[in-house]
Amino acid sequence: MAHTHRPESDIALRVKAIESLLVEKGIVDPATLDTIIDAYEHRIGPHNGARIVAKAWVDADYKQRLLADGTSAIAELDLTGFSSEHMVVVENTPQVHNLIVCTLCSCYPWAILGLPPTWYKSFAYRSRAVIEPRKVLQEFGLDIPDDVEIRVWDSNADLRYLVLPERPAGTAGLSEAALADLVTRNAMIGTAQVPPPEPPSTLAA
Amino acid sequence: MAIETSNECMSVSQAKALLKHGVECRGVSDDPPQFQVGDVVRAKVMHPITYTRLPRYVRGKIGTITKVHGVYIFPDTMGQRLGTKPQYVYSVRFAAQELWGPDAASKDVLHIDLFDDHLEAT
Repeated sequence: MAHTHRPESDIALRVKAIESLLVEKGIVDPATLDTIIDAYEHRIGPHNGARIVAKAWVDADYKQRLLADGTSAIAELDLTGFSSEHMVVVENTPQVHNLIVCTLCSCYPWAILGLPPTWYKSFAYRSRAVIEPRKVLQEFGLDIPDDVEIRVWDSNADLRYLVLPERPAGTAGLSEAALADLVTRNAMIGTAQVPPPEPPSTLAA
Repeated sequence: MAIETSNECMSVSQAKALLKHGVECRGVSDDPPQFQVGDVVRAKVMHPITYTRLPRYVRGKIGTITKVHGVYIFPDTMGQRLGTKPQYVYSVRFAAQELWGPDAASKDVLHIDLFDDHLEAT
């Protein structure tokens, strides 16, 4: 029998019913739920990771501290938090491409990157990222040359991982904030590279 | 002895503290680490019916310790509420070909964090 999915509205109703019960029975305080939802909707997200990456790109000493001890270097920016208690930062170079996965569940540096994308939690990504990382990366649009080493990091214990992507060409004059705007979530998981900035339009205004 | 967890409703201030400070999963052990950076180790072959952080795909495979992360509580026993059993965690590097055979790229590697109880000397 084919696997069928319930329509979204059914799931929403079911969640609502469970939430009502939990609140009624005093197991969940709705104000607590709102606090957590608000944090992930408004404060915590990939822009935190992008700040770390941009700082490492412009500040060689910071980059050195970040790669030596990710946890304390990230704490300097006050960006540690739930599910990012112990951080390891791995650097992409012309010789090495890093890719993060959690094969056992979907461990992810929540305080740095926000909530994990659905594909990161899928069985397909979690199994294929370790078995055939090059093919997976191709499907993300990333062709890694044969002479580049791929390092897959299975974050199955309590350490959480962040990829420090390569700084794209053509960004020498950019400010730290402008650099942070270029950094994408997927680049910090290792399923993308940071694209160079859009060239200015050749059409005169 | 089973570890009891609280069933009390989480307050707003507890949630804020959790988001800010996370969960303490470090432990303390008087024992020295069993392995050092550079040691060649084998992931144990075992098939517990209970929870484990040792995935099947590394069991029996030979790798190299690349980092000693420090002492953490042991999820394999915590998952059964049997105790924290604090022990060292290591980053272990496996060649992709050791895990997946000759079709894997010869340059590629996989790093995984494993606990003392998951590893044995070769």
